Amino acid sequence: MNKTVLAAIIVTISMLGFTYIAVGSAGGMGGEDWVNKLAVLGAVVLVLVTTFVVTKYVRQMQNDTAGGKLADESWDGIGEYKNEPPFGWAVVYFGMVIWAIWYFLAGYPLNSYSQIGEYNEDTAVLDKKFEAEFAGILSNPEKLNEMGESVYNANCAACHGLQADGMDGKAADLHVRLSLQSVKHVLMNGSNSNLLGTSMPMPDRNGLLNTNSNALITDAEIDTVSKYVAGGFKGEGADVFAGTCAACHGADGKGMEMVAPNIAEMSPSMVEMVLNHGKKGAMGAMPAFTNLTEVQRKAVAAYVASLSQK
Amino acid sequence: MFHWLEKNPFFFAVAVFVVIAFAGLVEILPNFAQASRPVVGAKPYSTLELTGRLVYIKNNCNGCHSQLIRPFKSETDRYGHYSLSGEYAYDRPFLWGSKRTGPDLMRVGNYRTTDWHENHMKDPAAVVPGSIMPAYTWLYKNIADVDTAYAEQLTVQKFFAVPYNKELPMADGSKVTVALADTLEGARASALEEAKVVAADMKDQSVKDAVAAGNVPEIVALIAYLNRLK
Repeated sequence: MNKTVLAAIIVTISMLGFTYIAVGSAGGMGGEDWVNKLAVLGAVVLVLVTTFVVTKYVRQMQNDTAGGKLADESWDGIGEYKNEPPFGWAVVYFGMVIWAIWYFLAGYPLNSYSQIGEYNEDTAVLDKKFEAEFAGILSNPEKLNEMGESVYNANCAACHGLQADGMDGKAADLHVRLSLQSVKHVLMNGSNSNLLGTSMPMPDRNGLLNTNSNALITDAEIDTVSKYVAGGFKGEGADVFAGTCAACHGADGKGMEMVAPNIAEMSPSMVEMVLNHGKKGAMGAMPAFTNLTEVQRKAVAAYVASLSQK
Repeated sequence: MFHWLEKNPFFFAVAVFVVIAFAGLVEILPNFAQASRPVVGAKPYSTLELTGRLVYIKNNCNGCHSQLIRPFKSETDRYGHYSLSGEYAYDRPFLWGSKRTGPDLMRVGNYRTTDWHENHMKDPAAVVPGSIMPAYTWLYKNIADVDTAYAEQLTVQKFFAVPYNKELPMADGSKVTVALADTLEGARASALEEAKVVAADMKDQSVKDAVAAGNVPEIVALIAYLNRLK
């Protein structure tokens, strides 16, 4: 018997033996589990095929001699036979040529993948879904409020709190239009919060004239009118308000278009302006929320305005 | 030459490797260089911002917070535009982080403000109910190391040609120049100027006093850094 064949038989037997020792003792050969049997069968086939193929080619290298008509030319002493290429090889070769032409001209340019491309497609699909689902929402106050609450919880609650109470003065309490602190701050320092959509500054205390007394507003008057405004236009201070603030903010404090914002109640348009432009006041700064879509901003505005009406 | 290579298989293999490696470099390097260029709108860190960045690293914020927004709708809805490699051009080292225990901070400057950070770092659970982030109270007492930040600025300017004192184009078409002081005293002064702007929006009296006295508490530097993450 040939040495190579002998070696192949020894290798096969020993590998099958190792396989048996490795899985046989663990119950892998028998039992009810056909998946295990299949795996063992696969291992046995793998061993047999491997040794057969390796033996075949080793034998071929040992015994075979080349044949055929030799080409005339010799390259550095290396000759070449003029044999036909194997049929299977030729088929694969031409197949590859055709595939390469397709891949260069159509496959790669038309089907190339990018993560950003997938993101853009996903986003377009989701945006369409959003538009379809909430098409008529602006004329449906109940749904608008519902969306507003969910957008509020995701974006606004981080500062204004889930209860919208401003978390102990860390941000504005959204149940009231203005806190005492805010009114005082504005009277002292003026304000320019773009609440009308354009820059429309309110002067600080040095520009606030009380027409009742024809003099600049005093500390005591600031105190009184602040309590009056923050307290919902009740109690003392109506005269100061009428003399100083009503000229722009209106006798009832509800503001005038293009002149001064509503300071009596939260109006959706006012909240929307804050979302568009951000705000800086007594408690700190609030960034603009332009990342929200217009519908989302309108929804939050409606929801926040509804809080103070409860 | 080729005769010789053909008769020496080892050197032939080396030559093949060299040729293929060169072709690879020609293909890969220009693309790589292009992608790592700063995007329009990227600008180097000012002295105080870089000081804050060192505070961020010192307290290992990147252990829990990533700075990398992936291109998924769920992420861009929450955090803003997905990150581009050119946005990290002046980050040495970058602070992508590897795990999000807290939220991503890549663009936190767009939706959080100075006073929020001040409240939050003092007692996170008071601002975010259920937050497991610990309080960072020492930031309000420790004085930040402006000198090291200035040294880092000088280093990156010299060795990596980071464009300090040069006009840089912004996304809206404007030009911005990030100044770098000539002297350490100048750097300290400019950091203090920046700190005053941040401290003006803060409420903690001891922080305000420290800035008025010419010191920069770590919290001020950190907030300056967080506010510029956009």
